[in-house]
Amino acid sequence: MSGNDRPRRIYFVALLTLVAVLAGWALVAGNFKLTEPFTAVFSLFRKPVGSAQLVSYDPLPAGAMDDECNGPLVDVSSALAAEPMQEADVSAKKPVRMIRDRYASYSSVAVDPTNDEVVLTDENLFNILAYNRLDNTPSTRVTEPKRSIGGLKTKIEFQSGVYVDPKNGDIYAVNNDTVDTLVIFSREATGDVRPEREVHTPHGTFAIAVDEDHQELLLTVQHDSAVVTFQKTAKSEDAPIRLLQGEHTLLADPHGIALDTKNDLIFVTNHGSVHQFRPGAVAASGRIRESDLRKSNWPLGFSNAIPGSGKNLLPSVTIYARSASGDTAPLHVIQGPKTQMNWPTGIAFDPTSNELFVANDMGDSILVFSASANGDVAPIRVIKGPQTLIKNPTGVYVDSKNDELWIANFGNHTATAYKLSAAGNTPPLRIIRSAPADQPTLSIGNPHPVAYDTKREELLVPN
Amino acid sequence: MHSIVYDEIHDEFVVPQQFGQAILTFRGGANGEEVPVRVVQGSLTQLRNPDRLALDPVHNEIFVPQGNSVLVFSREAKGNVAPIRVIKGPDTLLGASALAVDPVHDLLVVGGRARGLGTRLLIFNRTDEGNAKPKAIIGGPKSGLAHISGPFTVYPAKNEIIVSVRGSSSESNEMSSDECFVGVWSTQDNGDVPPRWTIGGPKGVLRMVRGVDLDPKNKSVIVTDKRLNAVLTFYFPEMF
Repeated sequence: MSGNDRPRRIYFVALLTLVAVLAGWALVAGNFKLTEPFTAVFSLFRKPVGSAQLVSYDPLPAGAMDDECNGPLVDVSSALAAEPMQEADVSAKKPVRMIRDRYASYSSVAVDPTNDEVVLTDENLFNILAYNRLDNTPSTRVTEPKRSIGGLKTKIEFQSGVYVDPKNGDIYAVNNDTVDTLVIFSREATGDVRPEREVHTPHGTFAIAVDEDHQELLLTVQHDSAVVTFQKTAKSEDAPIRLLQGEHTLLADPHGIALDTKNDLIFVTNHGSVHQFRPGAVAASGRIRESDLRKSNWPLGFSNAIPGSGKNLLPSVTIYARSASGDTAPLHVIQGPKTQMNWPTGIAFDPTSNELFVANDMGDSILVFSASANGDVAPIRVIKGPQTLIKNPTGVYVDSKNDELWIANFGNHTATAYKLSAAGNTPPLRIIRSAPADQPTLSIGNPHPVAYDTKREELLVPN
Repeated sequence: MHSIVYDEIHDEFVVPQQFGQAILTFRGGANGEEVPVRVVQGSLTQLRNPDRLALDPVHNEIFVPQGNSVLVFSREAKGNVAPIRVIKGPDTLLGASALAVDPVHDLLVVGGRARGLGTRLLIFNRTDEGNAKPKAIIGGPKSGLAHISGPFTVYPAKNEIIVSVRGSSSESNEMSSDECFVGVWSTQDNGDVPPRWTIGGPKGVLRMVRGVDLDPKNKSVIVTDKRLNAVLTFYFPEMF
């Protein structure tokens, strides 16, 4: 034995002795957790080896979720159960805390009046949920959906827009930001099933409107400030048949879209941030797939953006002729401080009253305008206040058959129904709930970055 | 929004605004509908798609990756101002989608995928500009750097780079993959080097890891996961 080996042997004997003592202690103590002292002992002898090695492993402490968000204990078992603990590998570490809302967050809404169903998209747990239209759930309960579509086969994630075909109940659901695919399901679809039809879309679509008379579907494209129109029967890699994009359109981070099919008008809500594209540019690669570059009417993306052209306009509703394409100016624009718009998101049109209903996300309100309004005009009426339960509304739907207005409230686990003529601080007629009213809404939707504020010991999570 | 950095020294946080081509700085305690304390935006900025950024609060600089270039602004810049430095040129090998600054060792780590070169971490001197060559490149099959999944960070005290990495590319993996992981490399690494530590895949807890940040005081790594739609905190004393 060399002199260098002697200290190592002493350490080894000491380690064996300590392990034996601890094992005996564990046998006597019964309920003793072996992992902590063993981990501590091993750490004394650990050296960097350039690869994973056991240092510690940490059980999920009961109630840890409560410490983090003062909310419900989140069930992480579904995420973790399928993953056997690899105790000898640091990579298998489990989180000590997970902030996650375990209830659906409704983002868009449509009604199937034929079947008396309300269809909602859920951007938290990634489902499309169909409820009985007449459900009305007390604050302590959760509304049971009639059907749920969700799972990896469905390609459903952050579905921000939904349309229900009035003839056959087919469900069209638009993805925002993560899966560039419009998915279409039959009314009977349930569970983790493949869409009946898919349409590859530009990145960052948000909302959908369908013109049944002309058999066309229109999608807003948030990232590229555009509206693309497809044949309603489009599938797979079909190209759009029209594109509305350019500086003169005044499209600026467009979100909601609605149609007046009688007067051939398109209504679009805009949050206001926009940049310009090189005039006459041809779509260039970057985020755009090479195969999409060969398609007609594909919107220009960031690769064609003019550096330094960005600006922040006031939020607006822009109105176009149904067949508008290219860099066409709107027919009229609702915009200005009197409008109260603050992240106007979903929009719906009532042909009977010629009114527009705007889901005013940051204003916690529904703004009602005449569809003929122009300029800086105040809403005809506003639905807002604590009795309304409206909180971060992102989806809105006019159910003309039943004279009702439906709101998807992203901010409080509810979808709420009102008379179309509702105004002020009016309680809803009925409430669909994904969670009891006392459960906090985390409002996490597509978290990307995270920053730790060391001063306040807070997590900053943009969505 | 694809990036946010907290400035501990000045108690501010900084975010990019991609659609409006702007950089917004807020006070650290901002709450509600608060106006940013500084906005960089305009024709001189060269900002095209500010998706992510990094902050050097020691030398008062903001770094913005922009494909084949990196723009550097003064932290205190506001309005329509030009970058104070630009890294750009064929020798840079840039395909910049995310970056982080080590102000202690004066390093800039740029991640991304350059056409035909795959996904790599390029390590520059912090003050490099123009057609600068990276001083080290981490990437290759052993590195596991298939696709950088979000903004990453560095831990200068241990010369570490902490990166979220997507699983291998396939249709379903675009949505969720238990191959995705958080990997820890060293700023002293060079070449096709595997991560020193990983959290997650293969067969891990994570499904589509995105952002990552550190809480050194509590020896924790904080990550976001798009598919779990959640924020997870891992106790990870071995890397601190």
